[in-house]
Amino acid sequence: MSDRYRPQVMDHLVHPRNAGEIPDPSGRGESGDAACGDVACFTVEISENVLEEVRYKVYGCAACIAAGSALAELVRGRHLLDAASISKANVEDALGGPLPIGKEHALTLVLDALHKAFEDHWNRTAADTLFDGERGQGTGTKSVVAAMSGGVDSAVTALLLKEAGYDVATVTFRLHDGERGSRSCCSPDTVLFARDTAHRMGLPHFTLNLKELFRRRVMQDFVGSYKEGRTPNPCVACNAHVKFHASSFLADELGFHHVATGHYARVEEGPTLARPVDESKDQTYVLWPVPRDVLSRTIFPLGEYRKTEVRAIAEERGLAVAYTPESQDICFIPDGNYRTFVRKKVAAEPGEVVDREGRVLGRHAGVVDFTVGQRRGIGVSAPTPLYVTEVRPRSGQVVVGRRQDLEVREVRVRDLNWFLDAKEAGRVQVRYNGSPVSCTLQETEDGEWVASLDEPVMGVAPGQSAVFYTADGERVVGGGVVTHRTSP
Amino acid sequence: MTDPVYLDNAATTPLDPRVLDAMLPHLGTRRGNPSSLHALGNFARDALEEARESVASLVGASPEEILFTSGGTESDNLAVLGLARSATPEKRHVVVSSVEHAAVREAANRLQSEGFEVSPIGVDPDGLVDPAEFAALLRAETALAAVVWANNEVGTVEPVRELAEICAEREIPFHADAVQAAGRVPLDVSAAPVSTLALSGHKLYGPQGAGALYVREGTQLEPLIYGGGQEKSLRSGTQNVAGAVGLGEAARLAREEMDDRVTHERELRERIFAGLDAIPDVRVNGHRESRLSNNVHVTVQGVEAESLVLVLDSLGYAVGSGSACSSGGHKASPVLLAMGLPERDAFSVVRITVGKQNTAEDVDGFLEAFSTAVVQLRELSPLYAG
Repeated sequence: MSDRYRPQVMDHLVHPRNAGEIPDPSGRGESGDAACGDVACFTVEISENVLEEVRYKVYGCAACIAAGSALAELVRGRHLLDAASISKANVEDALGGPLPIGKEHALTLVLDALHKAFEDHWNRTAADTLFDGERGQGTGTKSVVAAMSGGVDSAVTALLLKEAGYDVATVTFRLHDGERGSRSCCSPDTVLFARDTAHRMGLPHFTLNLKELFRRRVMQDFVGSYKEGRTPNPCVACNAHVKFHASSFLADELGFHHVATGHYARVEEGPTLARPVDESKDQTYVLWPVPRDVLSRTIFPLGEYRKTEVRAIAEERGLAVAYTPESQDICFIPDGNYRTFVRKKVAAEPGEVVDREGRVLGRHAGVVDFTVGQRRGIGVSAPTPLYVTEVRPRSGQVVVGRRQDLEVREVRVRDLNWFLDAKEAGRVQVRYNGSPVSCTLQETEDGEWVASLDEPVMGVAPGQSAVFYTADGERVVGGGVVTHRTSP
Repeated sequence: MTDPVYLDNAATTPLDPRVLDAMLPHLGTRRGNPSSLHALGNFARDALEEARESVASLVGASPEEILFTSGGTESDNLAVLGLARSATPEKRHVVVSSVEHAAVREAANRLQSEGFEVSPIGVDPDGLVDPAEFAALLRAETALAAVVWANNEVGTVEPVRELAEICAEREIPFHADAVQAAGRVPLDVSAAPVSTLALSGHKLYGPQGAGALYVREGTQLEPLIYGGGQEKSLRSGTQNVAGAVGLGEAARLAREEMDDRVTHERELRERIFAGLDAIPDVRVNGHRESRLSNNVHVTVQGVEAESLVLVLDSLGYAVGSGSACSSGGHKASPVLLAMGLPERDAFSVVRITVGKQNTAEDVDGFLEAFSTAVVQLRELSPLYAG
C-alpha cells in the first residue's frame, strides 16, 4: 500500500464524472460532517427500479472526491439491485487498488451518501403506506427480502437463503437514534456494519428509515404502558407493526415474493408458527402478531438450525458477525435502564403503596417505576418479601402482597391474532421464557377471551402477550394481549 | 514531466547553487573530522568555524554562542527542554504561545508530562501575542517562555523584541523559534534579548538536516545528546560539516541579500493578494502588515485543502495545505483554532509561500490555475452555495 494516490484517483479528482446535483431527485443522501472536514451528497433519479441518473458532490480530500466520482460512474444506469450491491471493494478496484492508509473512510463516506439517497427514495415511495398497513401479496419466484440487524443470526439468514438459490435483497431498518458506537442494534454504525456484511456476501443492501413508525407504534406504546400500569413488550409491538410490514413493502417494490428474518421459529402449513429446532432460542412467543398474509410469505431459515450451528456457519464462511454479542432485551435502551428511559418521557406522580386490603404501607415516587411481579425497590420493609401484585394508575396506588398473591388461574386476552381455529388451543404461555400451561379458552361477549389455567402461574401483568399453542405445545394457534388478571 | 512552479518555500526552499558549491569540498574525499589533529581535521574545523561566524553574523551574536544541530526541530527541543530542565527545582512553570511550531508545542507537552505546568498564551484573530497578556502569565517560578518569531503557517511576525525584554527584566529565559523569520526579519540578539534562538538551513536555501541554536552567553542549558563533548558539550556527536558549511553559506548570503529578497518577495506576495481579491470568498489569515514577506495564507470557502493542493499540483503549481486529512476525519491546525477560525474553515486553508527564485510570471500563472481549481472544486462542493 502506498502513501500517495494512484493515477486513477488523480484522474477522477481532476476530471470528476457525474458531478453536480439533480434538481428534483427521487432521492437525496448526505453523509459526513463539515466539522470533520468531509461531506458527500448524492442525488438519484430512479424509475422502475433503475438508477436512470446519479449526481454527486463532495467537500473533502482527493480520495473522497475520486471515490464519489468512481461510485457514481459504477452505479449510473444500473438496476437498483445491482447498484445496491456495489461495495467499497468495487469502488477501490475502480480506483486502481487500495487507497493510501488513513484514506479508507472515503469509501464508506460516498457509499453511505449513495445509500442514504436510496433510503430517501424508499421513504418517498412508502409515504404513508407503512402506517396504513397496506401491502401486496408477493410476486416473483425464488426471491426474498431478508432483514439484517447487523448481528450473526440475520447475516446467516441471508447467507443460507443465498446458498439455497434465492435472489436475496437485504434491508436494515433505522428504528431509533441509538447512541453511536453502542451495541444497540440500530445505531448508525450498525447500519454501516450490516451494509458491509451484506456486500461481503455479494448481496444488495438497503436501509429503510422507520423511525417515525417505530416511535409511534413501539416507543409511545412502551412509555404509555408504564404510565397505565401495563407491562409492554416492544419486540411484539415491532413485529406487529414495523419489521414485517417494512420488509413486505420492500419486497413488493422490488417484485420479490418472500420476506425473511433471523428469528428462531418455523412457518408451517396454515400458515402457522411452529417451534424451532433450537427450543432454547424459540421466538414464536414474540411472533404471534405477525399478520397471516405476511406470515404466508415469510421464511425463517434459522428455525431448522441450532444457535451453535449458526455461529459455526458464520465462522466457516468468514463472516465478521460471527463474534458479535447477543442482542439485548430492548434495542432502543442501550444501557438497559428502562426506568430512566420512561422517567425521561413521563412525569412521575407520587402515590401510595397499599396492601390488598387497602392499608397504606408507604409512599412511592410514581407508578411508572413498578410492574407486576416486581420485588425490588418497593421501599416498604416487611417480615416476608413483598411483591407488586397490581398497579393502579388512576388512583396512583401500587398494591403489594406475598408471593402467593401473584398466582393467577385465569387470564383475559384481547386484540387476538389467530393462525388456527381457537378450538385447537390447548396451552397458553404468558412470558417469553415461560413454559406453556394447559388451559381451556372461552370467548366473552365483548370479544375478549378468557383462558382458564389448569395450574396457577405467577405474575401475569396486563400488557404482556398471551400466546396459545396446540395441545402438544408445538404450534402457535394465536395470541393476544393480557388485559387484566383475575385472581383465584 | 516539467518541474512544477514551486510556491511552498515555507516547507523547504531550493538549495542555492552557491551553497551547494560551498558544501561540495566537504562531501568528497577531503572529508575530515573537525576534532582530529591532522591537516584534514584542520580543514574541516576551519570550515566549521567559518560557518559558525557566518551564522553568528546573521543574528548579531558572537561565534561562541552558536551551536550546530540537525535542524530546527532539534534546536527547538534543545532550547525548550534544556532550559526547563536546567532551571532550579522550584521553577516548574512554562509559558508558550498557542501558535508555536510543533517542535516547540510538543516539547512543551513533554515538559507537562514531566510535571511542569504549561500556560498557553492566546493570540488575537491575526495570530499576534499581546505583550501585556504575556507579561501577566509570567511568575517568579517560570522556568522559560517561548514565542515563535514568525509563525510558520500564517506568517504573523510576533513582537519578539518586546517579549524578550519583558523576560530579561525578570530574568526569565526566553526562547524564540526563528526558523521562518531568518533571512526575512532582522534577528539582532543584541537588540532583542532572547536567551536562545532556533535556526534551520533548509528554509534559507541551505541544506536539509542542518540547523543551529543561538545560546546567549551565560545561559544554563541541559543537553539532549551526550557523547564526545562536541559543541561545548551541549550537542555531542561529530558535526555535519558539509551541512554546517551549507548553513553558514546560506546565512552569509541571506544577510547580504536580505533587503533585495524581502523587496522581491513582498512584491510577489502583494501581487498574489491582489489577484486573490478577484476570487469571491477567499479570506486572508494572519496579520496583514506584521507578516513574513513571502507568506500568503488563505481560507477558501467551500473547498477542502488537500483536494485544492492536488488539483493545483496537476496544473503544475506546488503549494502547501494547512491541514492533514487522515483516518476518522481531518485534524485542524491548532494554530488556526487558536486564532479563532471555525473548525470547518480550518480544513479549507492553503499556504502559498514565494521565494527568491519565483517570478511575476509564476505568480500570474498560479493565479489563473488557482481560479480554475477553485471554480472546479466549488462546483463539486455541497458546502458552497456560490
